[in-house]
Amino acid sequence: MTLKEKLEILSDSAKYDASCSSSGSSRKSGNGIGNTEISGICHSFASDGRCISLLKILMTNVCIYDCKYCINRKSNNVKRAIFTPEEICEITINFYKRNYIEGLFLSSGIIKNADYTMELMIKTIELLRNKYHFGGYIHAKAIPGASNYLLKRLGKLVDRLSANIELPTSDGLKLLAPNKEENKITNIMNYVKENQNKKFVPAGQSTQMIIGASKESDLDIMSRSENLYTDYKLKRVFYSAYIPVNNDKLLPSLTVPPLKRENRLYQADWLLRFYGFKVEDILDKKNPNFNILIDPKADWALRHLDEFPKEINICSYLDLLKIPGIGVTSAKRIISSRKLFNISFGDLKKMGVVLKRAQYFITCNNRYFIDKQYLKKDFIETNLVLGNKIENNLNERQLQLF
Amino acid sequence: MNNIYVYEDSFINLLNLIDQLFINNVKPYNIKTTNYNPDLFDNLVYLKIENKDILTKYKKIVDKENFKIIYYVYLSNDINKELIIYYYLLNYFKYKAKVMYMRNLNCVNKALTISNYVSRENHKFKGFTRFRELKNNVLFAEIEPENNILEILSMHFKNRLKNEFWIIKDKKREIISIYNKKKIFIYKCSQFDILDVNDSYNEEQIEKLWKLFYKTIGIEARRNDQCRRNFMPKKYWKNILEVSDEV
Repeated sequence: MTLKEKLEILSDSAKYDASCSSSGSSRKSGNGIGNTEISGICHSFASDGRCISLLKILMTNVCIYDCKYCINRKSNNVKRAIFTPEEICEITINFYKRNYIEGLFLSSGIIKNADYTMELMIKTIELLRNKYHFGGYIHAKAIPGASNYLLKRLGKLVDRLSANIELPTSDGLKLLAPNKEENKITNIMNYVKENQNKKFVPAGQSTQMIIGASKESDLDIMSRSENLYTDYKLKRVFYSAYIPVNNDKLLPSLTVPPLKRENRLYQADWLLRFYGFKVEDILDKKNPNFNILIDPKADWALRHLDEFPKEINICSYLDLLKIPGIGVTSAKRIISSRKLFNISFGDLKKMGVVLKRAQYFITCNNRYFIDKQYLKKDFIETNLVLGNKIENNLNERQLQLF
Repeated sequence: MNNIYVYEDSFINLLNLIDQLFINNVKPYNIKTTNYNPDLFDNLVYLKIENKDILTKYKKIVDKENFKIIYYVYLSNDINKELIIYYYLLNYFKYKAKVMYMRNLNCVNKALTISNYVSRENHKFKGFTRFRELKNNVLFAEIEPENNILEILSMHFKNRLKNEFWIIKDKKREIISIYNKKKIFIYKCSQFDILDVNDSYNEEQIEKLWKLFYKTIGIEARRNDQCRRNFMPKKYWKNILEVSDEV
């Protein structure tokens, strides 16, 4: 098999992993080639609009498991391939030198057993770091069930080490990935959390959940995320809209991946991590799923209209973050500016506030943008949804995944 | 007549000129480089000034963050960048470091927007710059950014590819940056240009592998051209290997 054929098979089978981020690590360049940048760098964007930062490949797509949703499952009749460590190093270095990539994302199907697979991956990455003196970003997937001493060796070599939780509940996992026991995954997360420092997985860990392959509600998914962020100190949870690659009676027969739902989950994820929201604020048993028409923050604001309008020149940082149309950057700008002058509607625009969303929820120097009698749920909701519709038609945007 | 103050294009010359204007208490109608084509009512004024320590002087007066903002505005392609710098500095003397939070001032808002744009474009080119390996193992890239980011971009590659010989050419501005594993040199293409651009023996094979990877990694069921163009504007595609044949 030629190198070209191998690359085609082993990148094709790796592409369903959502994570391609190269952030969180800032290694200075050593004797060899490469360094890392804390913010991460996107080198290209694929035809699906997703960022390409890392050479995302599998060591091998041979697998002893038979997870229902996975293209590489044992029972699938697909071409199988395996890279040698040298081949991976050569491609990585040659791509990196030409500035195609920020580094390597190495995952693998399970060949023989978990430890054997991990040892192959470690051998590759050791070669890359020690013989090729590669100082760029490396994200490795830990193989569920691998021994701790291997996690220890791998963690010292890579920037990010992660394990995919795959499904939001253990019932889902039992049904669709019967060989992947949940505790094998949480063991890895726990080990990384306990040992993480500047020399061990400096960029922290992330994970991924497949959305729409099993029956969980958005509430189930977000509650799981919240737990993962607090229990295992994860840097990121990625959500991956389920794309049918296999026929199986246990899987839903979707024709289009649930991209809008995925988008809402990412928005809510941001609210948890940067905006001081809790899952219970945005979802509950009565409303277990997101409103497809309106983003979670605006949806929350409409249900709590009694807390609005907020006065831009007075309200706290956390309160600013609760206003639709105001993000972390613009909230910070408002805080540092308003000590120096009184902020008007015109100034807000300059600070990056999306006024056509924020205007319904704020006052500037006690002035509302129109008559206050319009501060009503129906009026605002209609305007926001209409605004979204127009925007969506112009521009079907997708959240950036880094 | 409108007095247009003229400087030979460099950051030091511009600072020298603006400094002189402050000292003489003159408000310029406009400030332009020597390439400027005057209008009918323009009166070009050349000031004879040569303060070699102007950078040291201003680095002492202006704090690091504000200095960077001014420098990035200078690197931009904004048509009024000189006046914006002049007024930004004028306000800096009045409000000191906190001027960068005063977006209610037009010149401040403009300076911040422009400097942000330069910084973002530089960040994008940290990713979008594509090298190819020449016969003599030198890595060679061509770029056409909107702003003059060659110098700040080169600083990035100096750290990243510090044990390689590399050259980056800005085709728009006809300038070239050369790294000899120690230092960066920036020349005009008229002073120094690269003539032998024959590729190394395995260049073609590596490029094919990369294009194959690029094609394979996109998920067809999620195809989204609009989103791709938002993040990777089409104006840059010409010099980005994997999309260059889609232009």
